[in-house]
Amino acid sequence: MNTIRIGRRTALAGGVAALASPAVVRAQADPIKLATLTPLTGAGGPYGPVMAKAAASVVEEVNKAGGVLGRRIVLVSEDDQTNPEAAVRAARKLIDVDKVSAIMGTWASSVTTAVAPLCWESKTFLCTVSGADSITLLPHQGFLIRTQPNSRLQVTRVGEFILSLGAKKAFTMIPQTPFTQSTFDVLNQVLPKGGCTHQSLIYDDKKTTYRTEVDQALRTSPDVILANGYTPDTVVLLKDLYRAGFKGKILGFAYSINQKLVDQVGQPEVVEGVYTFAPSPAEGSSAFEKAKAASGSANPDPYTCQVYDHINLVLMAIANGKAATGEAIKENIRKATVSGGKQVDNAVDGIKEIMAGGKVDYAGASGPCDFDEKGDILDCKFRYDQIKAGKFTLVKIA
Amino acid sequence: MIILQALVNGIVSGTLLAVPAIGFTAMFAVLRFPNFSVSGVATLGAFAGYLAYGAGLQMAGSLAAAFVVAGIAGLAFDKMAHLPLIKQGALPAAIASIATGLILENVVRLAFGNEPRGYDRPIARDVFIGEIRVSPQQIETMGLALLLMLLVFAALAFTRIGKAMRASADNPELAALKGIRPERIATLASFVGMGLVGVGGMLLGLDSSIDPLTGTRILLSLFAAAVLGGLGSAPGAVLGAFLIGMAEELSVLVVGSQYRAAVGFIAILVVLTLRPRGLLGERAY
Repeated sequence: MNTIRIGRRTALAGGVAALASPAVVRAQADPIKLATLTPLTGAGGPYGPVMAKAAASVVEEVNKAGGVLGRRIVLVSEDDQTNPEAAVRAARKLIDVDKVSAIMGTWASSVTTAVAPLCWESKTFLCTVSGADSITLLPHQGFLIRTQPNSRLQVTRVGEFILSLGAKKAFTMIPQTPFTQSTFDVLNQVLPKGGCTHQSLIYDDKKTTYRTEVDQALRTSPDVILANGYTPDTVVLLKDLYRAGFKGKILGFAYSINQKLVDQVGQPEVVEGVYTFAPSPAEGSSAFEKAKAASGSANPDPYTCQVYDHINLVLMAIANGKAATGEAIKENIRKATVSGGKQVDNAVDGIKEIMAGGKVDYAGASGPCDFDEKGDILDCKFRYDQIKAGKFTLVKIA
Repeated sequence: MIILQALVNGIVSGTLLAVPAIGFTAMFAVLRFPNFSVSGVATLGAFAGYLAYGAGLQMAGSLAAAFVVAGIAGLAFDKMAHLPLIKQGALPAAIASIATGLILENVVRLAFGNEPRGYDRPIARDVFIGEIRVSPQQIETMGLALLLMLLVFAALAFTRIGKAMRASADNPELAALKGIRPERIATLASFVGMGLVGVGGMLLGLDSSIDPLTGTRILLSLFAAAVLGGLGSAPGAVLGAFLIGMAEELSVLVVGSQYRAAVGFIAILVVLTLRPRGLLGERAY
């Protein structure tokens, strides 16, 4: 093996030369560090790896086109394990060791709630796909945006959908999550207006059977059950509802009732007729097509589309702010979607336009990406599907 | 009536919990440390059974596969990681076993991913006995668990090797004087105990689903069952498992399902405070 010998004098001379050079020259050599903190394991495990991959693809494209502000971007990927404690450890590493200026893709609301204070205290920008209302109500000082419609908006739409199914008695079965209480509050408001009563039960998502919980729900003779858990517990719940002979309608969020759940249950009649509900990506948009390519998936899930938007928005904010700090991203994140600006669907085009002195209006893969002052998105479509013979069939996008 | 139904549900889940609890407590009796790697081993057993069942083996063959794979893996970790530390005391070995449990969990994750998987068994509607609802599959699974327990107890009571195990657990020095080789008994306890834990993981997964966290989910209930019955006592583990199973189901009616985990902790707290030896004492067979 060849070894390069660097003498003391050479090293000293090199060090002095580096220090003597203008700061900007040294800074150009420093890459911009950003991070994804997605659930590579745990309940969110089916989503996190694809989310991280989509962000990495965007960074690769931008680096190929020369980076931002003449600097290369380094994307660090960490696993939040769908677990707040693990997420805090990972976030501490990203902030203190890697010194990233933005963290993107936190998925579970409990994770985002735990990580957000670390971010705003260190002036690190946080982009999340978590739905709990409480998240944007945190004192985040502007260092947080989320591309997921908040749970109040989502559950309101769920309530309206339950009413459209003609329900008179609805029952919600849900584990303890940051959106559990707001789900109850919203449904208790929305459903009675349409003449539907509402009862609910919180269950432990680590149980291996929900027979007693199902018994409790069925005692109220519901005609619609909202199964509002994550995939592993919802599998058990749906099987137990089937075993108990429940004949009413079942509705659940598409993040838990997905093709993986159907495959895993393995018996189509157990999930026959189950409705699913999800914020819909901007299917058919050019950004959605780009998110497809970035994620390597023909049908990227909403979270992947949202993380695709996170990284694009952050990179354009850095270009707009002429600095790669969390503060600069915070001040400029909304400047990537200026109405009247040039329509773009990716950061490479956006950065080019911004550097040429123009304004951009980014239309994302998850939707328009306009945020209110709290960091919530203003607009989003929702998609309703029904499982028929083991396949998801579109009911409507509205 | 709902209380009766909850009790029946509790008995069913208690029976399933009893199998790994026996394994856990049997290992404690001989090796004298709480082996928390049962979480990872139960998961491994569940996946080994899943593969065997998917490959066309019948239920008995799949359970045997779960037993053997979990037994070998558990034994290997005991030999390599836990037992070398036991000279320093039970605590270092117990802590090492938490680590090996995590290693196993992540090995399974690496091999199979995070998605939950289900055994390809037909899901049948429940049948009613009077007003009590029971699942035909759960009855079958429960029957398998009971059969296994009978086999274990028969082996402990009537076979030479079972008697040697009991003797070694009761008084290792005296057993050694009688020509029972302690390391051989330790190897056997490790293999059989972990085998039972693996089978328990598979039985629990049969009616629900399995993923890398399958074993972790039952760890607290399993430990609580063993402590409640008396660490080291196989009948105690069975009694503890039934009581924990029923208490967990009844707690759903009283305080809500979200406090289920508290049942295990409260059981451990109460037993360690009032009767540290457990309900049936430390070494009752």
